[in-house]
Amino acid sequence: MKELDLLKKDWQKNTDSFEQVSEIEIYKMIHKKSSSIVKWILIISILEVLLWTALSLFFNSDDYLKQLHHEELISYLKLLTYFNYGVILTFIYLFYKNYVRISTTASTKQLMQDILKTRKTVQFYVWYNLGMIVLSFIIGFIIAFSYSPEIGSLREKIFNDTKVMAIIFGVLFLTIAVFFGAFWLFYRVLYGILLRRLYANYKELKKIDL
Amino acid sequence: MITNVYMSDNLEQSFVKQLQENQNIIHKICRLYTNGDDAHKDLFQEITIQLWKAFPKFRGDSKFSTWAYRVALNTAITLYRKSKRSIATIEFEGRQHFLNDVEYNYEEEEQLKLMYKAVYQLNDIEKALIFMYLEDKDYQEIAETLGISEVNARVKMNRIKGKLKKILNPLGI
Repeated sequence: MKELDLLKKDWQKNTDSFEQVSEIEIYKMIHKKSSSIVKWILIISILEVLLWTALSLFFNSDDYLKQLHHEELISYLKLLTYFNYGVILTFIYLFYKNYVRISTTASTKQLMQDILKTRKTVQFYVWYNLGMIVLSFIIGFIIAFSYSPEIGSLREKIFNDTKVMAIIFGVLFLTIAVFFGAFWLFYRVLYGILLRRLYANYKELKKIDL
Repeated sequence: MITNVYMSDNLEQSFVKQLQENQNIIHKICRLYTNGDDAHKDLFQEITIQLWKAFPKFRGDSKFSTWAYRVALNTAITLYRKSKRSIATIEFEGRQHFLNDVEYNYEEEEQLKLMYKAVYQLNDIEKALIFMYLEDKDYQEIAETLGISEVNARVKMNRIKGKLKKILNPLGI
């Protein structure tokens, strides 16, 4: 086929016409996968904080506490909320730092260390959030139990009857456990997938390291 | 541990160096399978990542370039299938990059343009075959790279020639 021969000639003549990619650019390309995963971790954590903040605007506990005539608790809870935001912002800052470091690193060994570090940060973040959820439930129960007028009449009855007390505490414990489980699952799905991918990337790097 | 680190960075260096030297293979595959600079860069990067992922399995019993042909073509084919519709309908415009011929021959130039267009209309596997053909590989190497038999490669190549003729001259005059 005449045209095909012509094409072949032209094809082989034009091998040098491509813009050449430098070695540094190739380094960047092969490290890009980890950096995109870490970028998602950063984005999701920010979205999550926004979601919780939005939700807390709808469920304001201040009115409930005012109703109970225990306004002094508001400032304590506010303190806890501020502390919580402080910690979470610190985490976001750490995620951001991990992201910057991973996307700029040039050596495999450094990248592997950064991946492990990021994983640890995410794990701490998830456990902190889960702990905070349990803590806020316990605080909520204690406040309701000690100050709520509806429970007031029940309180004596409960403390006099160990069986009722056991049931009540059992139910409370179960509620906390269910919520804990639900959030644990939520975090597992949300960050678990990303962490697994990150870890797979780490293992690939490690294979090369051996 | 120090030797491991050394080896790892060494392996990475060796990969990057060899890829840098052989990058025209990838560029040429990108030329066949994509349209436009961005798509070219995306495919180049994807192929680079796949090559790097497969690099630990590359034992050096073949040439880096031979191995790279295989992995790169597989990547291009897989990606092409995923985004078939978006790519297949685009006209091939990449030809203008190659108009750096000194002995400018209008008729030949026209013919080449049509030929590039025709090749671009082939399907993913056909493109892989024609690519190997244009790279001046023999049927044995084409067959090995694409994982088909030599006879099959010959048959396919003949069919492609027929198809190209038909595209160039649809009325068969």
